[in-house]
Amino acid sequence: MRTFMQFLLFMVLAIAVIVLAILLGDMGAWYFAWLVGTAMIVLIAAAGGVLLDTQDEHAAARRAAASADAR
Amino acid sequence: MHDIHVVDLSRLQFALTALYHYLFVPLTLGMSFLLAAMETVYVTTGREIYKKITQFWSKLFLINFALGVATGLTMEFEFGTNWSFYSSFVGDIFGAPLAIEGLMAFFMESTFVGLMVFGWGRLRRGQHLAVTYLVALGSNLSALWILIANSFMQAPTGAHFNPVTMRMELTSLSDLIFSHDAQAKFVHTSIAGYVTAAIFVAGVSAWYLLKNRHTELARRSFRMAVLFGALATVGVITLGDALGFVGAQAQPTKLAAMEGLWKTEPAPMPFNLVAFPSQQEHVNRGAIQVPYVLSLLVTHSLTGSVPGFDQLEQQATARIRDGIPAVAALQTLSAKPNDADALAQFQAHEKDLGYGFLLQRYAPDVTAATDAEVADAARDAIPQVAPVFWSFRVMVVLGLAMLAYFVMAVIYTMRNRVERKRWFLKLAVWMIPVPFLANEAGWLVAELGRQPWTVYGMLPTWMSASTHSVGYMAFSLIGFVTLYTVFIAIEMYLMVRTIRRGPDDDHAGVIPHDRLHADRLAGYAEG
Repeated sequence: MRTFMQFLLFMVLAIAVIVLAILLGDMGAWYFAWLVGTAMIVLIAAAGGVLLDTQDEHAAARRAAASADAR
Repeated sequence: MHDIHVVDLSRLQFALTALYHYLFVPLTLGMSFLLAAMETVYVTTGREIYKKITQFWSKLFLINFALGVATGLTMEFEFGTNWSFYSSFVGDIFGAPLAIEGLMAFFMESTFVGLMVFGWGRLRRGQHLAVTYLVALGSNLSALWILIANSFMQAPTGAHFNPVTMRMELTSLSDLIFSHDAQAKFVHTSIAGYVTAAIFVAGVSAWYLLKNRHTELARRSFRMAVLFGALATVGVITLGDALGFVGAQAQPTKLAAMEGLWKTEPAPMPFNLVAFPSQQEHVNRGAIQVPYVLSLLVTHSLTGSVPGFDQLEQQATARIRDGIPAVAALQTLSAKPNDADALAQFQAHEKDLGYGFLLQRYAPDVTAATDAEVADAARDAIPQVAPVFWSFRVMVVLGLAMLAYFVMAVIYTMRNRVERKRWFLKLAVWMIPVPFLANEAGWLVAELGRQPWTVYGMLPTWMSASTHSVGYMAFSLIGFVTLYTVFIAIEMYLMVRTIRRGPDDDHAGVIPHDRLHADRLAGYAEG
């Protein structure tokens, strides 16, 4: 049931985005570009933060493995 | 007849209050979405450090938000107090977006800001994240409406002048909202706010890294801010070009002032990289030009050309002469609203009514205007070129400098080595004022370039002001400058104090990350 509700929510969101794109695209592209662009900028910035954590964890794991080998 | 000193003081007062206000606005626009990005990481990964990051930057956001609201409120009232004729002339159009802006700011934005601040611990993670996104959306949608109103002043669409009511009336709300100028201006302005916030967050984070304080917060904030800022800077530049392209059609005099174009030249037109425009002699001194570039920039082709002031002044002269019957008919209609001949005469010359108003400054009875008075009015159609020309260049140079800075910042942070580049961290701190200067320069281009109009081609600035005394204007101007300077001082004090203190209980819940950082530093020491 939960999966179905999530599916429904994302479908509604997807349709809303498509309808918005069609409506706003006809009347002028920049508002729509702002909506898409802002979402993209926010998500890429968020991904950058997650990537930093991953880089740190990999670096720490590499160093731990190297010091274990040295011993 | 308006006292021109009162008009100038009204302009100065609005310009100063707007410039003060706009020191706060971009940070709110950008920081709100940057907070949303930080909180998104917290909600999706569950790492407590991102909650702490979000809460810390929220404090700075709130300080800025409060002072932004305080400085913005007075401006809405200034339309009524200092620009009463303007308000009555275009109130039917201008009032609607301004009212919606107020609703957005005070109902949506402020309500959700309250929930964002006090909702930690009361709302579930997902709910709080939704609130943060709504704050960001509310801030930017609030800006949208004020920019729609401003765009009407730059390129009036969706309205017409009613000679019976003697004011402009809205004919199409969608034309007003979706005008090319409004769209390009909103996106350009909103994303410039993102850049401002990104440079601010990156600069403060760099300061922490230089001081070796709160490094886990600073490294993550720096990384997220520079990615956010790099993408936003690309957007700002793209939209700057779009706005220039739109402006070339809608406001040729502004474009000519931005480019220092005294004479119309055949395509491909050269770009004045540096020049010292002389308003009296209508020439540029010491010009350094780059061939072909202006045609490419403004028309996106090598065969495109745009008119210079020589041609624009001739066009203004013709339109002023065509506007004389419109103003004369309007004077008749104000006494006899049912005069069919006057109405027909007005409708035949309606499109040049604004130019007729330009002449009224020199000849209250426009039908008796001399050629010299028409020439004076036509000269008035040209804005002061040097401030527009140089503000534009300052904005562009700072924009390109920010792009170069972000590209370097992305490279260093993605290599995860930014802590070792101390020269770059110092540069990041010094970059903090740059976007604020660029934003202010951008507004100077937009507003000085629109002169001599409050509503381009429709309503001259000289007619728009209220009929206050010089003493009243000088007194209120000094009052505003003093008050707003105090606001800036308070903001700086609170910001610096909060930054110096840093996030509360710094080490709580982040020990593994601090250990990671210590490991990393150990790794560097080992080479």
